[in-house]
Amino acid sequence: MNKGHSPPATPAATPVPQPYHRDSRRDFIWLTLGWLASLFALAASGFATLRSLVPNVLYEPSRRFKAGRPGDYPDDTATFIEEVRLFIVRKGNSYRAMSGICPHLGCTVNPTVGKYPFLCPCHGSHFDPNGAVVSGPSPRGLAWHLVSLSKDGRLVVDMDQTVTHDKTLVIKA
Amino acid sequence: MKSLKQIWLTFAGTRVGQSIFRVGLPESNLGRMQAMVSSFLLHLHPAKVHRHSLQFSYTLGLGLISLYLFLILCITGVALMFFYVPSPEHAYDNMKDLEFVVSAGMIARNMHRWSAHLMVLCVFLHMCRVFYTGGYKPPREFNWIVGVGLFVMTLVLSFTGYLLPWDQLAFWAITVGTNIAGYAPVVGKKIQFLLLGGNIVGESSLLRFYVLHVIVLPAAVVFMIAIHFWRVRKDGGLSRPGEPDVLVQQSETGPLSTSKTYGLMELARGTSPAVGLKPEDEVPVWPHLLFREILLFLATMAVVMFLSVFWNAPLEEFANPTHPPNPAKAPWYFLGLQELVAYSAFWGGVAVPALLLVALVALPYLDHQRVGIGVWFARERRVAVTIFTICVVAAVVLTAIGTYFRGPNWDWVWPWAASAVTPH
Repeated sequence: MNKGHSPPATPAATPVPQPYHRDSRRDFIWLTLGWLASLFALAASGFATLRSLVPNVLYEPSRRFKAGRPGDYPDDTATFIEEVRLFIVRKGNSYRAMSGICPHLGCTVNPTVGKYPFLCPCHGSHFDPNGAVVSGPSPRGLAWHLVSLSKDGRLVVDMDQTVTHDKTLVIKA
Repeated sequence: MKSLKQIWLTFAGTRVGQSIFRVGLPESNLGRMQAMVSSFLLHLHPAKVHRHSLQFSYTLGLGLISLYLFLILCITGVALMFFYVPSPEHAYDNMKDLEFVVSAGMIARNMHRWSAHLMVLCVFLHMCRVFYTGGYKPPREFNWIVGVGLFVMTLVLSFTGYLLPWDQLAFWAITVGTNIAGYAPVVGKKIQFLLLGGNIVGESSLLRFYVLHVIVLPAAVVFMIAIHFWRVRKDGGLSRPGEPDVLVQQSETGPLSTSKTYGLMELARGTSPAVGLKPEDEVPVWPHLLFREILLFLATMAVVMFLSVFWNAPLEEFANPTHPPNPAKAPWYFLGLQELVAYSAFWGGVAVPALLLVALVALPYLDHQRVGIGVWFARERRVAVTIFTICVVAAVVLTAIGTYFRGPNWDWVWPWAASAVTPH
């Protein structure tokens, strides 16, 4: 390969150190690409790590709860179901389900015999029969959930579906 | 019969001893100062320290006590890890085992619990001390911020540890605590979900809190403590009255010349512990500071031991997600927050704490006049001292109300009344 080259005729002059300038377009492009690629690699790894912490599957109790038969709940009452912390409210033939979880800080409300039927023991939020806040720090009323009837004749509450308090399931006797 | 010192000297003089200690047992102040800079364990200290920094009435030893409590927490924590499985099936039984099956298990758990509570207290008091003596003023602004970060980390560490026993207290304190986090705007619900690994406090929450508690947060704290101590040294030691206003600065051209070699000392910039020191003001760290440090450690240990022997860490019933105790309370250091949340969830749970944190971080940059440094409650700092005191008193009063004056249904109770609930 070196055939065509001849050694320099005169000894090379003492090299004068030149300050390094990154002002050529090529340097600029390579540096930009390099930095961007490095940052992207780090950001992507960071994002992937964080994303892995967001669960894709929840091993929690089902949000669809199969309650008892409509006849199990006496007329004109709110029956508390402990394992899912909700009330099945029956009025005549209409059925509704109200969450017993206080929207304030997640305590369980107690049915009371006082003026307002539901009271949160943690910070004293009071709720009226429709779950609306009467007093106390709760920012929202108690949630109402969709009630349906399963094929085997039992009430099913879907806690992922929030409805208004007047949405009822009417079951003709 | 040889004295202990003679045995030591004989050993330090052997080939093995010399290889370990580098300098023998020093016999003079000079030798002791050489030991300070040549020993790994001792070199965290300066060789000499200002007399003022040794006054207990100035520091109250609060920073050191916090460190000691952290060390006790690390050691007892590792001991507890041998007997703990972070799963809802085992966690509670492990607590019972620690109490009834493992030798000295209860003492280890008690020490861990008491040290944690004391550390929250001491770190807070240390912050108050630094504020009241103007220790955050230039050039120590950044170290104040590191300190605020350490305070927050202490709270989070304590909070994550709270869930691990998996009893009613743990379960509902974390339920209430994470719900408070959920009130943060925009990201609140996401943070709550990420923290719990789900919608409710469950298996994944316990594992997450455990990993955060035993490795992520302690590692972060160790790192921050290292920076905190490093900056204490680099910012000129502890604050004290009569510090020089003019900081030593490297000149523009620098001390470097091509004609001679130069030492690291010539590259050093900023204040160092030597700046403004007169020989008569400084004393060798060995023995004056080291002796006090050892004494303070023994005192800290004694207090923790005393509390641990006589008061057991509580363990309530097995966690029951369907039935909260009444009242359901957060850990005591969050009860001031819970009291505020009882008035307004957003203001109490998010806005007020966030504003306080911002104020703490901004403080050294807003209040940067170098007056009243190194003096408790300096008259020139009346306004700052008053504002800070109001905040501290408010925090203490709210915490006390939440802890002692709130009973079932968060109703007001007098702590001496029969129905009052014992705080945890």
